[in-house]
Formats: sequence, structure tokens, C-alpha cells
Amino acid sequence: MSLDTPEMLEIPDGTENELHELFHQRGWGDGLPIIAPTRNRVEEMLSISEGLDPDEIIATLPPRSGIATRRIIAINAVMAGCKPEHLPVLVSALRALNSPEVNLRGVNATTHCVAPLLIVHGKAAKDGDYNSGLGAFGPGNVANAATGRAVRLILHHVAGASPGIGDASTQGSPAKYSYCVAENLDFSPWGGYARSEGIDAESAVTIHCGEAPHNVHDMESSEPSRILDKVASAMTSWGQNNAPISQGEYFIALCPEHAATCASNGWSRSDIASYVFNKATVNVGEARKAFELRAWAPWQHALKDSDTMPMTEKPENIKIFVTGGAGKHSCVIPSWGMTKSVTVPVAP
Amino acid sequence: MEIYTPNGNTGEPERSLSPPLPLLTGLSLGILDNTKPNAGVLLDRLADRLSDRVGLKIGLTETKNAALAAPTEVLNTLSKEVQVVLTGSAD
Repeated sequence: MSLDTPEMLEIPDGTENELHELFHQRGWGDGLPIIAPTRNRVEEMLSISEGLDPDEIIATLPPRSGIATRRIIAINAVMAGCKPEHLPVLVSALRALNSPEVNLRGVNATTHCVAPLLIVHGKAAKDGDYNSGLGAFGPGNVANAATGRAVRLILHHVAGASPGIGDASTQGSPAKYSYCVAENLDFSPWGGYARSEGIDAESAVTIHCGEAPHNVHDMESSEPSRILDKVASAMTSWGQNNAPISQGEYFIALCPEHAATCASNGWSRSDIASYVFNKATVNVGEARKAFELRAWAPWQHALKDSDTMPMTEKPENIKIFVTGGAGKHSCVIPSWGMTKSVTVPVAP
Repeated sequence: MEIYTPNGNTGEPERSLSPPLPLLTGLSLGILDNTKPNAGVLLDRLADRLSDRVGLKIGLTETKNAALAAPTEVLNTLSKEVQVVLTGSAD
């Protein structure tokens, strides 16, 4: 199914000030300067998907039920500063966001500070010049910054996730400006993340709706357990939604050096997940004292106050990928909770 | 200069609120509690006040997770059992 071409607006003088004033008046943009989505620029953006219907519906995004066609996605991509080679990644990210298990209505509308993290895997990351090395979470790379920003602009313009209207986030988040990173496949000792999730494609994207990264610092350990104990510590603070919501996932973004320490000691991805699952635990009585509202699995409700329990209901909720450059800082990205990550192949 | 608008169309017609009921007296009232802290307290008190002042009959209370849409069976039960529903959020 496809839709008609979006409306066009005339900007009489065509100055940047006039453009930004118009966007401000209409509540468009993220507060930063934008690139004017002229017909020529949007056509150039769409040139990467030549032969495909630009008005094909890619996603219908809540709470506004806004329809994201390939052209609407391209318009927002231009505004964000994307290049044409980023469009297939962005279109695929929208397909992932449209998956029911993401629960985008809740993600957009909640008071929590959640933002969708977009992880780019495989050939698309190389082709689009996404940064998976030093400073991967930013700033300084056009692909990461602009694609992440385009996701936010689409959520704002098309999904209606505007602060105070469709986005009730109490404090917002810097991750709501742009939140995109590439997997460092060259330094992933266990192969690509997407393949570990059963996606057999040369390029893929993952969407994980979570908080901004929580740092894990370990400069000195040659034992995986000493590093992963700190990962577990970052997973067990009471302020995270994972604490009262047991279905919540964790993404652990290991830096290459921490990943190498784990792998050289014979630890696989699932070994790491199992270890931190068993290590990131809390006292059940303390959890009950901390939260009256608990979205726990049935078996957790049956536990005694003196028991300990993991922060998430199964090890499979702990997802591990490698990103970053030299140095010994990894991070944990807790979940909003009532959402599941989705990985899809990149397709234009 | 001419630019595209970035919003696109919407996929569903805008929903509107049901028209207000002319008289509440004698109707049955249900509560859809989203389980946010104090939502139940607020809705129960509101229901009691309405019952005292206009003679609504308090019927059943259903609950839902605040982060998810109400399940269809909950909506079906409410629409079958009561004529007025109080719902909303509180923190």
C-alpha cells in the first residue's frame, strides 16, 4: 500500500532564519538547526532505493498513528543530516520499531527516560561509515549522529512523540536527541550479534528501548569475573525499571579489551550472560520494600523475603555486543521494561 | 524555497470522546485502574463521591498495566457490565 506525496510549504525568502522560525512555530525539529528538506535533497536521499515505491508504507507509529512511508523517512533523514547510504538502515530501524513486541506506544508515551537505541551490524555499518570504534556512542561521526537523530525526528514528527503531547518523559534524556552505535564486528570474539539472535544477513539493525548507558570501568583485571562483577553491579541499582519489571532486558556493550579478556579465558556470550544473571541479584525482601508495584514473573512472587533473585527473569534477557575502541570502559543499557528488543535484516 | 512537511498522514481517524451522558442517576459505574500508585485511591474516592451525589451504582473494578493497552477481554467485560467507566492515571 502507498500514500500520496506529502504536502509542500513555500518559504518566500528561503533564508535559514525563516526556515527555523517556521519549524519552531510548527513544533518541528529537535531544537537544533536542521537541513531544509527540499524536493531535490529528498529525491537524492531516495536515489539509494531506486525502483522501490517511495510512498510505500514502512511503519504506522503510535501514539499519533503516523504513517512512515519511505519518502517521509527520507524527508526526516535529510533534516537530520543523513546521507543516502544511511536510508536503508533508517528504513530498517523503522520496521523494527513497528514490531508489536517493542510496544512503541508505551515507549513513546511513558514518563520514563527511555529512548530507542539503534545498533547497526555488519556490512551496512561499513558501507555507511558508522563508528564502531573509539567514541562509538558519540560525538563526532555523521552516520551515528544523523541516523540516531533521524529516528528521533521521525518519532517526534510522525509518531507524535513530542514532549508534553505524546511523550510524557519526566526529565527527558540526552539519548532522545540521537542514540545510534555500530557493533565492532572486527573485535567481537564471538561473531556478530545479529547472527547470535538468529538473523542470517550480511547487515542488520537492532532496536533496544532503554536508558542512556551506565558506565562500567575496569582498568586492571585479567579475569573475566572481576570485570563482570562490575557489570553486575551496574545492573543492580534500584532506580532502573528492570528492578520492578522482571521481563526487562539488559544490553551489555563490551569494549574490545573487556571482550578479549573474556574470550581469551574461554568465555562465550552465553557464559557471560549466565554469569551476570547469577551475579546481578538482589534480596527479595529489600525488593518488596522498595517497590509496591512489581511486574514479576509468577515464580518470583513465590520467593521468600530472605531469598535472593536475579534482576531479570532469565539469562536470555541479557544481550551482549562489542563496541568501542582502545581503553577499558564498557557499559550497561537497562531496559524501559515493558518492551523487547528486535533485530531485523537491513533492507531498503 | 519549497520544502516538504515532515509529519505525513495518520493511519486511523482521530478518536473522539463519547458524548456526555445526560443523566448519571441509576447507571452502573466501573473502574479501570491502571495500577499506578494512588490511581486506585483516587478512582475509588471519585466513585464514592459520584455514588453519593448522583446515585451511580458502583459495579466492578478491573485493572491493567499502565504501560500496556487494556486487554480486549477487560474492555469487553466493562462494556458488558457497566455504563460508565472511570479511568486515568495518578502518581
